[in-house]
Amino acid sequence: MVAPKNQPPLLALVDELLAEQGRLQTPVVRAAEAYDRAQRGQFNSKTHADLIPLTKPAAGEQYAFEVDLDACTGCKACVVACHSLNGLDETEAWRDVGLVVGGSRAAPYQQTVTTACHHCADPGCLNGCPVLAYEKDPLTGIVRHLDDQCIGCQYCILKCPYDVPKYNDRLGIVRKCDMCHQRLGAGEAPACVQACPTHAIKVVKVELHVGGGGALRADTSRFLHSAPNPSYTQPTTRYLTKRPAPVDVRPADGAVLRPQPPHWPLVALLMLMPMAVGCGVADKILNLHSSALAIAGWLAGAAGLGLAALHLGQPLRAWRIFLGWRKSWFSREALVFGLWFPAATAYLLVRIGWWPVGGALKSALAFGTATLGVAGLFCSVMIYVDTRRGFWRFANTAPRFFGSAAVLGLAGALTAPDAPLALGYFLAGVTILKLIFETSALAPLADADDGTAAPARQTALLLTGPLRSANEFRVFAAVLGGILLPFLVASGSVPHVSAWPALGLALLGELAERYLFFRAVDAPKMPGLPDPGRGGVA
Amino acid sequence: MTTELVQRPGDFGLGNVPARLAPAGTTRAVCGFCSTGCSLKIHLNAAGEAINLTPDPDYPVNLGMACPKGWEALTPLAAPDRATTPLLRDATGVLQPVDWNHALTVFCSRLKSLQADHGKRTVAVLSTGQIVMEEMALLGALAKFGMGIADIDSNTRQCMATSHVAYKQSFGFDAPPFTYADFEESDVLVFVGANPCIAHPIMWQRVMRNPGHPAVIVVDPRRTETAMAATLHLPARPKSDLTLLYGLARELIRREAVDPAFVAAHTTGFAEFASFVDAFTVARVATETGLRQAEILRAAEVIARPGARVSYWWTMGVNQSHQATRTAQAIINLALMTGQIGKPGTGANSITGQCNAMGSRLFGNATSLIGGYDYAKEEHREHVGRILGINPGLISHQASRAYDRILDAVDDGEIRALWIIATNTAHSWVNSGRFSRLRDKLDFLVVQDMYATTETARQADLVLPAAGWGEKEGVFINSERRLGLARKVARAPGQALSDFAIFKLVAEAWGCGAQFARWSSPAAAFQVLKELSRGQPCDFSGIRDYEHIDASGGIQWPFTAADAAAIPDLRSTSDDLKNRQAQDPQSPEIVNHKSEIVNAAERRLFADGRFFTPDGRAKFLFDPPVPLPEPPDAGYPFLLNTGRGSSAQWHTGSRTDKSAVLRKLAPNVPWIEINPADAAPRGIVTGEKVAVRSRRGATTALAVVTPIVQPGQVFMPMHFPEVNVLTFPAYDPHSRQPAYKACAVAVQRVEAG
Repeated sequence: MVAPKNQPPLLALVDELLAEQGRLQTPVVRAAEAYDRAQRGQFNSKTHADLIPLTKPAAGEQYAFEVDLDACTGCKACVVACHSLNGLDETEAWRDVGLVVGGSRAAPYQQTVTTACHHCADPGCLNGCPVLAYEKDPLTGIVRHLDDQCIGCQYCILKCPYDVPKYNDRLGIVRKCDMCHQRLGAGEAPACVQACPTHAIKVVKVELHVGGGGALRADTSRFLHSAPNPSYTQPTTRYLTKRPAPVDVRPADGAVLRPQPPHWPLVALLMLMPMAVGCGVADKILNLHSSALAIAGWLAGAAGLGLAALHLGQPLRAWRIFLGWRKSWFSREALVFGLWFPAATAYLLVRIGWWPVGGALKSALAFGTATLGVAGLFCSVMIYVDTRRGFWRFANTAPRFFGSAAVLGLAGALTAPDAPLALGYFLAGVTILKLIFETSALAPLADADDGTAAPARQTALLLTGPLRSANEFRVFAAVLGGILLPFLVASGSVPHVSAWPALGLALLGELAERYLFFRAVDAPKMPGLPDPGRGGVA
Repeated sequence: MTTELVQRPGDFGLGNVPARLAPAGTTRAVCGFCSTGCSLKIHLNAAGEAINLTPDPDYPVNLGMACPKGWEALTPLAAPDRATTPLLRDATGVLQPVDWNHALTVFCSRLKSLQADHGKRTVAVLSTGQIVMEEMALLGALAKFGMGIADIDSNTRQCMATSHVAYKQSFGFDAPPFTYADFEESDVLVFVGANPCIAHPIMWQRVMRNPGHPAVIVVDPRRTETAMAATLHLPARPKSDLTLLYGLARELIRREAVDPAFVAAHTTGFAEFASFVDAFTVARVATETGLRQAEILRAAEVIARPGARVSYWWTMGVNQSHQATRTAQAIINLALMTGQIGKPGTGANSITGQCNAMGSRLFGNATSLIGGYDYAKEEHREHVGRILGINPGLISHQASRAYDRILDAVDDGEIRALWIIATNTAHSWVNSGRFSRLRDKLDFLVVQDMYATTETARQADLVLPAAGWGEKEGVFINSERRLGLARKVARAPGQALSDFAIFKLVAEAWGCGAQFARWSSPAAAFQVLKELSRGQPCDFSGIRDYEHIDASGGIQWPFTAADAAAIPDLRSTSDDLKNRQAQDPQSPEIVNHKSEIVNAAERRLFADGRFFTPDGRAKFLFDPPVPLPEPPDAGYPFLLNTGRGSSAQWHTGSRTDKSAVLRKLAPNVPWIEINPADAAPRGIVTGEKVAVRSRRGATTALAVVTPIVQPGQVFMPMHFPEVNVLTFPAYDPHSRQPAYKACAVAVQRVEAG
């Protein structure tokens, strides 16, 4: 750019330099490009040739990552190369590097651990996916996520004990490591393998065998010792080292408390569905004259199912949710509640007199709705049990979900104009039992502190630490709405209309309990960094 | 959605790339973070703009690898908080956008009026090892010869001043003798105060490529990643390394591991040194370092092994100490006395910090006259004046004051204006709380930076928006003296200009533009610097131009016209060979040709035993160890060590914090490592907040309970502004480098609230 003649020299120089600043491509660039063009298409894959298998896996084999821990020194180039070479979003990488520590004063020990998807022989993600959006490649064994199929339910995230699948907010789906199968297909090493300055990561072939129940099994004897137990999903990654690790080696973030995401739509679903089922069962058993209970139950169920859709990143694809019914409790729950809703609606129409049928059909409808509801709740319980997380084990989840059904069914029933007031005593009793049961989650606090938080202890520490105020609110709401007010209503000390605030408080109490159910769960993962801002929502 | 991840062959020697980021061309640029000097292959779109990068497989430094910072080098350029116009603080105290003309007018009028009222010394400059050599040289020449500024120093004072002084005193010139191939050719590698696994991962790659399973001795108070990979870790107490090194020297003498012929022919002062170290018995060293006698003897035995090629490597653990220069020289002494220098796999080798610390040491025009000359010598002033076409009378007889003395002069009211370029003093200078207090004593603070948001820029009166790495061209000199090319592959945002252009504008506005007419572009300035280097130990006058550097895969100094004739470059490859290379890059002929180039590209100093001192001999320099300036006591019972937190973080984070993926790789809040034995009685658990206090300030940090720090010691990463609030302002007497790595602190649990 040439400055006008009448411009002062400084201004002219500013303009000239700004114009120069905006010009790209110096002659040297062009020369370098010419040199590069001469090499066009000749990717020097030989550098990485010994880092990937020469041949495809035979029958009974699959590809697996092999990590030489002695060569992994924590530079983390693998993480960023994964991000860059796969063109991932700003915060996205499918590999991570964690840390384990231990040892004595004389021999302190630390080891960085690079980790990605373990391409498990029996993948938890795949088995839990309600829409069959995962496939285990029959030839290579690579566990691939089919992005176009995913509905964004994130159940795979809960199912994977290694925290591998990651939710992508922009796309509303989950994505994960595919071992760069496109590169492997072209004879190139995966991005992380290419990028490791010390060749610590390889792709190798490993043998699989068929175990009990026909599930595939891998040799997990060389899996990382301080990682979650490999017996659940049979991870195939091997971690090799010649250095003796001390017996007390533990993840550097083992003691870090990680409150988990609340998943509000699920909190709402799992508070409202028990109420719907509880009200339905109460309506059947109590056989009240008024239809209030049936209406309340139906409304709760409709609201719960509606809100649950908000949980999905791709709700328009949700119609496919039954596809995984053979393996996924998520699909089964959707199927059962999918049947429950028309049944409950039909029963409601009967109950309020818009559909005038009676006798056996009415009774069958009532019984069927209640049974479907109970079955649905059972599926809900199993969704969480099937993640194999300690806090979500059957003995802890079933009493909570069905306990909510009892509390909210009774609280709902107590509001009915013709309800026997003595129900209040039942409600108070059930609430007391449920509170006592929930308190047992705090028992591990008495255990010795060994510098890591064992799953149950992690939950107890969360409930009394970062989640303390939510936990206190939960108790307060239950004592007031589930015990005190119902007792007063039952004893006639307060007017019957007080059952309504009791119901409201009981609902809030159960909502808080379900919120804590999600937030205080122990979430297994690979060893990470000692950073509480990670692996959950602080 | 699957289509988002589809890949296609990238061409240009690349493998598969994401289809939506397929390049239309590539070019190469040397990385602008650390001094390793890795070459990055930049993927360009049709408009010539960078869209992605991969490490350059054909560069002798990094061999197709990069650390996370290199992989993410382009991301900080696109940060939303880039400075896009000059900003001037208005009457209400708010930084307001102004145009360049206004900014330059204010810049000159304020500084000139301060100089008129209070003398020329009232203005000083603090610059950086992060800008290219040509910019550094233009700044040094402009400030000193054009603007009459007496004091200019840079952040290399914080990292490399000690190596500079130690080499200059011992070898007669600031001359790191090694080449990276030495990592691969050593039988024994001794790392003192260095954690290359994290701080220089690509150098560690070279160690791992050593085919001989070398012994690796690491002297570091922490069990770092590098210490974990060592065959022998000596966790000496902080700052007891000098004592240890003297003890090792005594032990080598006792074991008759000295090379008497080398010592006699090429050194001076050995006899005095030998009698000095005699007092450093193993028993004494064990007591003072906290090491076991057996460990010390084992180290001596490994180093003394007959026939073993031993190389010594040090970095900030040595350089940032109250007795840093003598510690570096204690390492140099070990190499000299055993004749372990000038041969493959040997050397007393300083691993540099910043990408252009070496260029800045040569051409910063601070402690040495531009080009490694001496201010005090008249013939040097005349020589430099002649080459630059300036009146030698304009050249001061004195070197600049050091960084700490410049800040002292601000405190004293002698200096009233600072021009800070591409460094973040408010964050990184030792005892940083003092800088905030000094700010109020400054009449005018100019900050020239890519970002208007650094801790320092936020305090400025005037911010000048600078283009960053990737938006300009020029040369960096890496740790092994290799000149590499940085290149313009992206447009700077808004009105941001390269530092070179800003200096040109300042010269014009100041009225001394004509003095720098020869510096019309970085490429032209490079020709000036070549002339300055001619006849110096760092002579690179044999390099033709930028293209020559690029075609050769970087060029190490010295590179005289004679070297140029002897050493082939890729450009001199015959057309026939080029054609065959295009057909079959793996043919033996091509591979052979390439390895010839690589051998020519790996050159070390002192093969002839001649050093750069007047008598050609290296000097043994030593002093008795000095106690810690601030030892722990009852009130402040812990010794705080600071250093690099992760390979993904660069210094004050003004660039690396802009990359979301880099931010995933380390905690985003300051943390403090503490031994379980210290944590347990205080009820401190990993992940909780603790309060850290020193006599100078207090902050909070995330506790990380780990046995890798010894009891009584704690460690904090330097990348958070809170850390230097604590550090103690002690300096090495020779290099004036701050001792960041040892001060007394107290650590307490903060009750959850």
